[in-house]
Order: sequence, then structure tokens, then C-alpha cells
Amino acid sequence: MSRFGDHIRARREVLGAESPEYGLRKVASRAGISPTYLSHLENGKTDPPSAEVIEALAHELGENADVLLALAGKVSPRLVEIIAKRPELFASVIEQFADLPDHAIVRVVREVRDGEW
Amino acid sequence: MLELNGDTLKFTFPEVHPDAELTITFVRTLRIPDDDKTYPLPPGLGTFPLQHVDDHRERVPAKWLEHGGVMLPMFQAEALWIKFSSKHLYNRRTKYPFAVKIGTGKISAITGDEWVKIISENDYCVVPEQPWIDGYAVDDDQVRQFVAAPLGAGFTAEEQLTGKADHGGIQIEVYPMDFLTFDKKFPKIEPREVKTSGGVLRGKSVKCSAFAATGLNTRSLTLNDSMEQERGVSAEMGIGAGGKMKQEIFKDPHGMDVWQRSQKARCFVHLANSMAWEAITGKKPPATPVTASVYTGQGYPWFDYYDESREVLGGTDKLKGLKSIMELGFQKGMPMLPENESVDPSDKVFVIKGKAGPVRVGAW
Repeated sequence: MSRFGDHIRARREVLGAESPEYGLRKVASRAGISPTYLSHLENGKTDPPSAEVIEALAHELGENADVLLALAGKVSPRLVEIIAKRPELFASVIEQFADLPDHAIVRVVREVRDGEW
Repeated sequence: MLELNGDTLKFTFPEVHPDAELTITFVRTLRIPDDDKTYPLPPGLGTFPLQHVDDHRERVPAKWLEHGGVMLPMFQAEALWIKFSSKHLYNRRTKYPFAVKIGTGKISAITGDEWVKIISENDYCVVPEQPWIDGYAVDDDQVRQFVAAPLGAGFTAEEQLTGKADHGGIQIEVYPMDFLTFDKKFPKIEPREVKTSGGVLRGKSVKCSAFAATGLNTRSLTLNDSMEQERGVSAEMGIGAGGKMKQEIFKDPHGMDVWQRSQKARCFVHLANSMAWEAITGKKPPATPVTASVYTGQGYPWFDYYDESREVLGGTDKLKGLKSIMELGFQKGMPMLPENESVDPSDKVFVIKGKAGPVRVGAW
């Protein structure tokens, strides 16, 4: 059992009910992995794959890559890179946001500044 | 409120309606030939990157900081089109309507008049009716493509119409429809009536993986440095008129009074020539897109947008008289547009029908 595996299998089955394009073989092939490996992933028989494979699966299954990565206990390499550039700043920002409710966080946006013209 | 989300400008008006949301992207495309023909719409070949000018305070001209806004990179003689997408409200069966003013060098692309900070009769386009704009409105169903030229060398629409090179860039001003009018025109429907539309939204976008494979999309025009240095032209670009294409700028079907003037949002989009972009941001700009002749030779599609149910704004005399970059270059003895050979895409035009237009199938 794995949350990641359960999630992708459930998602694939929902899509599969609508279209034959979401069979195990077809999805695996489009994501660039073997059907056996995908089956193992879905059944929790192996550890979650690399971020690259997770992103490919997210793309195939119409899922948010960051959500799938989180289910797999990972963070996207892009975010790691952003944090690594200013680790102190981002660590403290994320700490501060840790317990805020969603509605408080979505208000934090950067506006494009308009000047004189 | 205006945010920058990746390569997208996102205008939202939470005080008007929670879903009053318009996104604008600047789309890379091939430059259509400037000859005696009128071309169909060229494809979208990816978006231009956008960055806040404030993120590069030490390296951008002081004037850009005064204007605020964002910047994007363009090669000399590169073309762009501007894509508008408004959020669909399923319980209203419409996308939220907006009036959008577009200017280049503070000259309206729709009237050719100098920029004013309000909307006036027929100097704006209306979204979602207008899905994109590719150039200056020069006739009922014709625009001249937006093409980048160095600011200060005399090729931009601004320099031609005002004699000055003061502003450059692209200006955008957005007005949402007033909520009471919106609510009356598009009343809320009960959830059980809500049906998602069966139509497929077709973007004017083409993936050119074949070009990537052959390396053709990495070819880039070289900037004519010597010319820039000799003439003291800055790293700043402006927009001038390219070749002619068939595009209609639709007239406002709602009337001018429905736009909520107190809620407008606007943005100055600065154009850095691609070399300056790299110096400012440390990042390489996207490669120049393929030429019209290579693209057409490969059999890729061109487009036609078709909505005969709508009235159109014809071009004004000012814009009809606009000389193209090609023509000005010829007069000045400076060839400005390399690779301008005519092409014949007539059998490769994919027709996209507007919302109210009749169905047309199999137009490949």
C-alpha cells in the first residue's frame, strides 16, 4: 500500500472508464516506463520513482505534478532550486505559512507595479 | 489587480466579480512576408518570457523603472501577436467580458491616435469576441503585423506618427464589464441547467517538434550591431508595421457605457532587444522562430478566424497611411527584413470559427 500508488491507480481507472487510452500499458508507454514498473508502483511494491517520472505521470493523468510529488514524499527539483538559492529566506517564509489557512495564503500575490506613463 | 504568472499577465478584478479574470500572453510567431499579398494568420510558436522590470533595477533604463510593468525580449524584425483569454463562467454561459486597449509606443494599434488614459469610441477591442490581435488595424479585415524594430532608427509606428522615439514598448489597458450590466446580460442559470459546451477550444498554436528535431528552430537572425552602434540606437525596441494579414478587429457589441472605468488596470510592456535581455537577465532569449517560407514548405497550417456575425472596425486613415518597416527601409536604403520571400499558404489554412459563426468542417 502506498498513497502515491493508490492515487495514480485510482486516477488511471477513472480516466480508463472513459477511454481505452488509459490502460496500464498505454499510460506506461506514454510516460516512458514499463507496464510492470507502473503496476509495481500502483501496488506499492516499489518506492516512488524519480521526479521526472512523476512529472511525466502527472502530465499523462492530468494531475498537478506538485501534488503527485508530495504524495511520493518529494519536492519538485524546480522548487528545490528556488529554495537553494535563498534557503534562509524561503525556509522562514514557508515556516510562517505552515499553519495559515488556505484563504490567507492565496492573498499573498505580487502585483505588477504600474508607474507613470 | 495585475499579476505576472510565468509568461502570463493575469488581470483580476475581485471588486467587480470573483471570476472577472483576463489573461494576456505575447506569442512568438513567424514574420509574414511584406509583399503585395494578404496572408492568413500565422501560428503561435510559444510565448515570450516576461519579467518584472523591478527585478532588474540596476540594469534597465531609468525610464523603464518610471513606467513600471514588465519586459520581454525581441529580436530585430521578429513578430508577435497578443492572445487574450477570459475565464469561462459556466453558470453564466459566457466568459467574463473585457474592453482592452492596445498601444505600441503609446499609439493606439486600433486608431493610430496618441494614447489617452480613458477609453473612447472604437479605440479598443472586446474580449471574448476578439481572441487575439496580430497588428495595426489598417482596413476592414486587414492588419499589418506587429514587428520589432530598434527604437530611434525611425521604423516604429510611434516615430512615424509622432516624429519622436519617446516611449517604445507595448501598452495595455483593461476594463471589466460593470457587474450590474453583466448580471443583466448574462443572468445566473440554475446548476441543473448548466451544461459544459461541447465545442473544443482551438488555440492558434502549433507545436513544432519537427523543427526542433532538425534544428531549424535554433536558427536566429543576427542583430545588425554595426548599424545600432553607428546610429546610437538603444537596446530598446519598438513596434512597427510588417506585412498584411487578414484579421478583423470586432466592434464593441455592448456599447461603451458598460465598461467600468473606475476599475481599469494597465501594464507597460517594455521590449528589450534580445542581446540586451541576456545582459539584463543573464538568460538567453528564445530562439527566433522559423521563417514563413520554411514553415510553409513543411506543410504546417496557417489560420483564419471567422465570425461573420459581428461588425468590424475598419482601419482609420492614420493607420491606413502607415508605412511598413519594409517600405521605410527601402526609402532609407537600409534593408530591414531579411528572408521576405513570398509564400503561398492558401491550401494550408485551418479555419477557426467564432462563437456565433456557422459550422465549417474539413477546411484543411
